[in-house]
Amino acid sequence: MADGLGNRLRELREAKGLTQAQLADMIGVSRKTVNTVENGVFVPSTIVALKLAGALGCAVEELFFLPG
Amino acid sequence: MSDAEEAERLTRKRAQMMPFLAVLLITQQASFFADDGGRRVVDWGTTICWIALAAAILAALVTGGFWFKPRAIRALMNDEVTRANRASALTLGFVLALTAAISLYALEAFAPGEATPRQALHIVVTVGLLAAMLRFALLERRALG
Repeated sequence: MADGLGNRLRELREAKGLTQAQLADMIGVSRKTVNTVENGVFVPSTIVALKLAGALGCAVEELFFLPG
Repeated sequence: MSDAEEAERLTRKRAQMMPFLAVLLITQQASFFADDGGRRVVDWGTTICWIALAAAILAALVTGGFWFKPRAIRALMNDEVTRANRASALTLGFVLALTAAISLYALEAFAPGEATPRQALHIVVTVGLLAAMLRFALLERRALG
């Protein structure tokens, strides 16, 4: 995970029945952004993190966490 | 095709184009060093082509290119992951260009006249652009999944 940041993005996205492209469309970013965040390659900005949490109907803390 | 799909298609195309541009730049580098130093019309043509190619690659790297595409598509193509990838690529390009410049300066100190100033500048620019282009292409392709 990039900079030790964990996330439950894939799990929560799939629970909502969304594809990466659909989620990306909802928050106005590219699918590449969702893919890299999901795979822990990229740590998103606070704005994108808040948008992702908003789109998935959860708090940012439920979506992102510090492992350990 | 939606803006998002078009942006993804163009992003993929951009990442695929970079290695081809790198090969083109290396080819020009090779023809520059094969040059006999003459100043014929064809030599000026080659020089102008190289300057145009180097400037276009630099502009594309810094701005993301595709300048005539709609703003919404360009915004998606240059979102925060792309900007992070670009920053990483340009940093590597800068470091390697400086390393090449320092190496050539050292070469000049220990073996004067081995490279002309024009050759040295050519090498520095090529190394910097190549490194940045290849790094950007690699990071973008990895990000696209």
